[in-house]
Amino acid sequence: MLQNFIRMTIKEKFNELKKQGKKAFIAYIPFGFPTVKATKDIILTLQKAGVDIIELGIPFSDPIADGPVIQEATSIALTRGANTHNLFSLLFSLKKDIKIPIALMTYYNPVFKFGVEKFFNNMVRSGVSGMLTVDLPIDESREYLKNARKLGIETIFFVTPVTPKERAKAVVEASSGFVYYISVTGITGTRDISYVSIAKHLKEIKKMTNLPLCVGFGIHSKKQVEEVQKISDGAIVGSAIVKFIKENSFKKDFLKLLESYIRSLKPN
Amino acid sequence: MPETLFSCLHELDLFYARIKNDKKFKKELAFYYNEYAGRPTLLYFAKNLSKNLGMKIYLKREDLLHTGAHKINNSLGQALLAHHMGKKRIIAETGAGQHGVSAATVSRLFGFECDVYMGEEDIRRQRMNVFRMKILGARVIPVKTGSRTLKDACNEAMRDWVTNVRGTYYLIGSTFGSHPYPMIVRDFQSVIGKEARRQILNKEKKLPDYLVACVGGGSNAMGIFYPFYNDKKTKMIGVEAGGINRNLNSASLNFGEPGVLHGAKTYILQDKFGQVKATHSVAAGLDYPGVGPEHSFYKESGRAKYVTVDDKEAIEGFKSLSELEGIIPALESAHAIAYLRKLAKKAKGSLVVVCLSGRGDKDLEIVEGYLNK
Repeated sequence: MLQNFIRMTIKEKFNELKKQGKKAFIAYIPFGFPTVKATKDIILTLQKAGVDIIELGIPFSDPIADGPVIQEATSIALTRGANTHNLFSLLFSLKKDIKIPIALMTYYNPVFKFGVEKFFNNMVRSGVSGMLTVDLPIDESREYLKNARKLGIETIFFVTPVTPKERAKAVVEASSGFVYYISVTGITGTRDISYVSIAKHLKEIKKMTNLPLCVGFGIHSKKQVEEVQKISDGAIVGSAIVKFIKENSFKKDFLKLLESYIRSLKPN
Repeated sequence: MPETLFSCLHELDLFYARIKNDKKFKKELAFYYNEYAGRPTLLYFAKNLSKNLGMKIYLKREDLLHTGAHKINNSLGQALLAHHMGKKRIIAETGAGQHGVSAATVSRLFGFECDVYMGEEDIRRQRMNVFRMKILGARVIPVKTGSRTLKDACNEAMRDWVTNVRGTYYLIGSTFGSHPYPMIVRDFQSVIGKEARRQILNKEKKLPDYLVACVGGGSNAMGIFYPFYNDKKTKMIGVEAGGINRNLNSASLNFGEPGVLHGAKTYILQDKFGQVKATHSVAAGLDYPGVGPEHSFYKESGRAKYVTVDDKEAIEGFKSLSELEGIIPALESAHAIAYLRKLAKKAKGSLVVVCLSGRGDKDLEIVEGYLNK
């Protein structure tokens, strides 16, 4: 069965973490930044550093939900040749070495152009179980969900601070794997904010579902990761890591530095 | 559309549904159209152009409106909406600058703070409009990412909106984007077609054989087409920007494929991986890789036909209307004019109404540069 190709699913990972009494540390990196080749090493380094789940971003020409750091990185990835084909080649080549779940984070058009069913089949064949489509609202996701459920793809949707209660219920119902709580009304990018203010809303969302609830956008320090992990099931760090890659990828000991950096963000 | 914008779009949808048939709102809008913008606009029988081409051609003079283009119809409507919603700040995207100018203009009327996003490339080629916006009290924010043209200005405007979703109203300039915008923009622009229909029946006692309009995002075209939708004998032709060649143009309906951009599923110029292409047209206002989703529907259902006119032909159209009728059209509208020559070959004697979406003062430098090359 196709199911056999998927390595550890996101659901299984959260079960494992729960048994260990731990919260998730999720890292986002854009595919193809600084190069397609470098992505393989970066993914392996993230795994080595103890990241629980990797979100791999598919670069898109018009990333409307992303701030300048991720915009720049994905733009560079595109000019250096990152595309859907070499993405799947990479994922396929990593099948044996990767033990942690990977989720693809994308805008809808590249998936639509590729063919949703074909895309999901490729995901299954490369052992990737999670999918986050940033600009696909649940209202337009019927075909998408039908195909995903057929193949066991975990569909992660978003709840924001301005999502009304009834809608949040519908979002969590459509979700599998985990629910992504966007902590700010805004785009990706590091922020010096306290996450205590969202605790109340998170509590309400938690009541609606058994799924793990993870928080992202803005996180760039260990303190914030700890704060977030106290009030949710996981912290997602994106722009901060992308920034680090941008500033250090040319260095000789880059992968070692990346590993230390990731470890410095994770609570002990 | 990113989830963060959902409740905003939903709020707008509900608000618009409630207010659009409200007598007071309609009266207020009519006041601004008639006393401020200069409606109704003339439907002018272009005698010289008609004789030259062998057809009976009427021009719907949106170029005579305040600010020089049809954009003001939509901006006034949406500004009134924003005003009634209690918003204090307007953001807008702009390509040629006409929508930016109209957004800045209505912001003065209603006392909004106004920020306009414009691609760096467009800022360079439409300097006068940039200055106009500044004089009208708007802040023009240059967009330096992507292709630095209209689609990137849309992206930045959307990012701003996602970030400032509670107090800011996004005044979209054309019939693209997520519902309810394509509908709202069409409704406000349909004043063009409603008037034109009344006027042509008055003058000719019959409906036109053809409606011709340029198509970028699609607002002036949808504005003139929509009220004639049920007049089956009236054929509709949308003229897209053929740019330089098959690979460098902005003709989404002719050379694009279905995709999702800026919250709408429509024809988009994209590469084989679904990355949106950089587009080109000598007319900055047509330089958009997508098109309003309703136009995609018109194309697929056969209600309208979509053709292209390239840069060279558009410049010819610009010159010919100026020389024959003493009317200098915007380069965008010049695409519609240029197509008439091709239409004349098969439609001799037809009654044609062309939407002259704007005036060409803003394009004089560009045309001068083009002709000097």
